Amino acid sequence: MAIETPPRAVIGTPYRPLRRGVKNAILGGVCGGLAIRLGVNERTVRIIFSLLALVSGVGLLLYMLLWLTLPRASEAQSIAHRLLGRRRELHRVLFGLILVVAFIIVLDRLGIPSLGIYTWPFLLSLAGVIGVWRGATPDEHRHLEELVRSAPLIRIPTSPSKKNLLFRVLLGTVLVLFGLRTLSRLHGYWGGTTPVLFGTIILILGVLILLAPWWLATLNELSGERRARVRVEERANVAAHLHDSVLQTLTLIERAAGDEGAVVRLARNQERELRQWLFDPEHVVTDDEAGTYSSQLHTLEGEIENDYGVKVELVIVGDCAANPDVLALVAAGREAAINAARWSGATLVSIFAEVETNAVSLFVRDRGQGFDVDAIPHDRQGIALSIRQRMARHGGTTSLKSTIGVGTEVQLSLPRTP
Amino acid sequence: MTPTGQPRVFLVDDHELIRTGIRSELTGSVDIVGEADEVDVAIEMIIERTPDVVLLDVHMPGGGGLTVLRAVSEKCPDVRFLALSVSDASEDVISVIRAGARGYVTKNISGPDLLDAIYRVAAGDAVFSPRLAGFVLDAFSLEGRNLEPGDVDPDLDLLTPRERQVLRLIARGYSYRDIGTELAISTKTVESHVSSVLRKLQLSNRHQLSHWASERHLY
Repeated sequence: MAIETPPRAVIGTPYRPLRRGVKNAILGGVCGGLAIRLGVNERTVRIIFSLLALVSGVGLLLYMLLWLTLPRASEAQSIAHRLLGRRRELHRVLFGLILVVAFIIVLDRLGIPSLGIYTWPFLLSLAGVIGVWRGATPDEHRHLEELVRSAPLIRIPTSPSKKNLLFRVLLGTVLVLFGLRTLSRLHGYWGGTTPVLFGTIILILGVLILLAPWWLATLNELSGERRARVRVEERANVAAHLHDSVLQTLTLIERAAGDEGAVVRLARNQERELRQWLFDPEHVVTDDEAGTYSSQLHTLEGEIENDYGVKVELVIVGDCAANPDVLALVAAGREAAINAARWSGATLVSIFAEVETNAVSLFVRDRGQGFDVDAIPHDRQGIALSIRQRMARHGGTTSLKSTIGVGTEVQLSLPRTP
Repeated sequence: MTPTGQPRVFLVDDHELIRTGIRSELTGSVDIVGEADEVDVAIEMIIERTPDVVLLDVHMPGGGGLTVLRAVSEKCPDVRFLALSVSDASEDVISVIRAGARGYVTKNISGPDLLDAIYRVAAGDAVFSPRLAGFVLDAFSLEGRNLEPGDVDPDLDLLTPRERQVLRLIARGYSYRDIGTELAISTKTVESHVSSVLRKLQLSNRHQLSHWASERHLY
């Protein structure tokens, strides 16, 4: 593992919060993080922790405690914080702790000596390991799994040959037996606690070597299966959507091949819908809600394109809730757009909507034939009037600009109290 | 430019149909010096032929248009890019512009408008579609953004009222000429406002812009 030397802290460097290291982590990154915070070499910190662990087990306990309570440099919450927030995980960890205590008591009853002064630090650390495993983020999990996997003999054999298996079973069994024997030697040559600790470690190593491959394989299979299931569901969703929309439209286009207008309409409709599904999923308009200004406008865009066969270019800046005033604004805009689609002769209608702190505005423009505003034909005056009246009723303003040969723009504005 | 004054154009798009459509719309009005449907081939050919304008599809397999943009800009800074896309996703648009494209138009643009856009880009101007103008107004809006007074560089992070006006008119569907008439300024002045907005868009570190850009691994 590549270990980067952390930058040394010098006086005047900005305050660095105490975090567990990510890049310079071997186990949990506690030593790396401490080294960065204190501005010392991380190897020094590691050696101090190892010595503390050997002397009385306190180093081990301290390490676990920091692992649980310090957030990782790339994360916001510590493992303990996450565990406390999840009742079920907390229960599991406590359950694990009780199991470990029970195991030690049973060993004691059977006449196998306990670990002496190492007992409690060791015990609590084991519970801590369970806690870390349950509460780690997926990112840290990956790091830990990598660690376990890269350990010699424990990793899943790439080619599970018989020879390999035999070697593993033999070595595992020998270690387990040797560990048990060391443990059972109550007053060994070295006396006291050292052989007990030694024995326990060898025992655990033996069990790991015997069982790790199966355990890891199961773990892998489970997560692989879950991933596959998610993929299948996702695929089914996409397939369902494509079938409901795109495939249907294609069939309709085939049937309407003779009618150019209908084909264009269908294609535009499908394009708009697919575009929204792909790029703007939050704005998918459902029929039963007034929603927001922008969702109303998206509906309007669809209606105009569908019913009048023109292309609508809709640009929206900002958004707000669709209150009755805003709905009236959209309704007025709809009439303006219908006017443009019907009479201007242009194939494109531009709609620009903007929500500012003190105003909501809507511009509907076409680059069609235009007309003389002062000499509006009777049938169009009605519509222009209805737009004006509608806006006036809601305290808004209307202004109409048209030049023959250039186009027409209807400008609608509504005051807004933020 | 060719001796007749037509810009030399290169097409990059992985869809044969789109390339054919564009080619048939542009033939006669510009000099199409080549086309490519893959990122690697595109980079090599553009550097070899140094066209005036590259019409660049934003979404392509193998790294997309951004890769082409960056690789070519490094070697030939004089080649100008006009991004062409079916996507309306704001982060895509902002990313290509920030990577150095002089303009962005959607693929359903009409033939004459596309031609107009190519000539503008060839002349060193910026081309904003109504949608892009909308995005910029949104990204540079004064309210509701994480703006701290000390962080704002007024030269880069704020639009002038005039630039705002011009962008609004683009979003409303006005051509540069219409905007000039509307604001009683020359088309050249409109162009210089748009170019200035483009510069701000490329250089500003406004939270939202850099966020969009970093999501696309521009830094």
